[in-house]
Amino acid sequence: MLGEFEYLLLTAAARLGEKAYGAAMRQEVEEACGRRCSIGALYTTLDRLEAKGLVKTWMGDPTPQRGGRPKRMVRVTAPGTQAATEFYRAVTRASRGVSWETNRAGIRP
Amino acid sequence: MTRICWRLVDVFCRLLEPGERAAVCGDFAESGESGGQALRDVMGLVVRRQAALWKNWRPWLALVGLIVPLGMQLSIASRMTTGQSATYLWLYANNWDWALLKDGGFWYGLVNCVPIVLVSCLTLVCWSWTAGFVLGSLSRRIAPVYRVLFCLMLVFGVLWGAPRYLDFLLEQIRRPESPDASDPISALAFYRHVLPLIVQTLLVAVPSMWGMRRGAAAGGFPRWVRAGLWSVAITTLTLLLIRESGLGFILRAFWLQRIWQSWPIRWLQMVVYWPVAYLILNAIWRHWHAKTLLENHT
Repeated sequence: MLGEFEYLLLTAAARLGEKAYGAAMRQEVEEACGRRCSIGALYTTLDRLEAKGLVKTWMGDPTPQRGGRPKRMVRVTAPGTQAATEFYRAVTRASRGVSWETNRAGIRP
Repeated sequence: MTRICWRLVDVFCRLLEPGERAAVCGDFAESGESGGQALRDVMGLVVRRQAALWKNWRPWLALVGLIVPLGMQLSIASRMTTGQSATYLWLYANNWDWALLKDGGFWYGLVNCVPIVLVSCLTLVCWSWTAGFVLGSLSRRIAPVYRVLFCLMLVFGVLWGAPRYLDFLLEQIRRPESPDASDPISALAFYRHVLPLIVQTLLVAVPSMWGMRRGAAAGGFPRWVRAGLWSVAITTLTLLLIRESGLGFILRAFWLQRIWQSWPIRWLQMVVYWPVAYLILNAIWRHWHAKTLLENHT
């Protein structure tokens, strides 16, 4: 089973497709969650995902806007897609009928 | 402030693997992050990376088996060297009289004591350099943390560990000439507090840091060269452990006394000075290599 942050990174990488790399994924996660994503959390989680075989990473070409430094490119693997799908289904199933899923104010005073 | 932050970001980035360093610095350049934020980010990443390395048993073994005993033993050796040098230094510096220059006995004493002090200082430098070399060659990734821990151990050793241990040692062997605070040398704050710190810094901390750098660079040598270097380094550190008044006290007090005095062992002790030979040979090889490259280029 994936962790929440692992799922967020897989989703960001899948959405960005060929353009998935560290800084872009970080921006995606920050926009999706509305909170800061630290570089430490990003790269250590990417390592963990790669060790599990859920993503593949490699060094891309250097670009001038990055001061001639390369990007760490990311691609979601087939097991990564499967793990993210299972996580999404599990969360959707578990959320069925609860107040935040049906947009009702379920908190009693 | 921002410039200082970016300087620190550079320093912390050096603790990352080259590939990751490039990717992280590139991300900072692209996202246009502030210096403070980038510093917090890179520090977080470095801490996570180092913490991950300490999940393995090897760094713990190096800490318990090398950093702590070597730091302590070097501190003891440094205190012993300080004690010896302090006597001569006090004798000549604090009792100086220009008339001594005309005295034959003064020159005789000076010629006798200078080599003793120089050899003990050189021995201490070589031991420290070797300890650093071994620690540096263990792991390049974890070397910065080893460096900090070793320095902390040296500080602890010089300020607390070694003085306590030497007091205990003198009490155990009950030497009649045991120094006390009322002797003229120990009574001076410079010889009691400042000189030990100077010796520990110049003859232990600086050479061990230098040795660590050389040890990390030795990773690129062929396997047989590394095996040879490790053999002499381990022999040197074994001699440090048994010769100085740490573990050596127990060994010397009992069964090692006769073996220690034997000529083969005395000759073996020359191996302690291997860093001098290593550095000279290394400098010659680098000079020759650079010259050959230049000739091939032209």
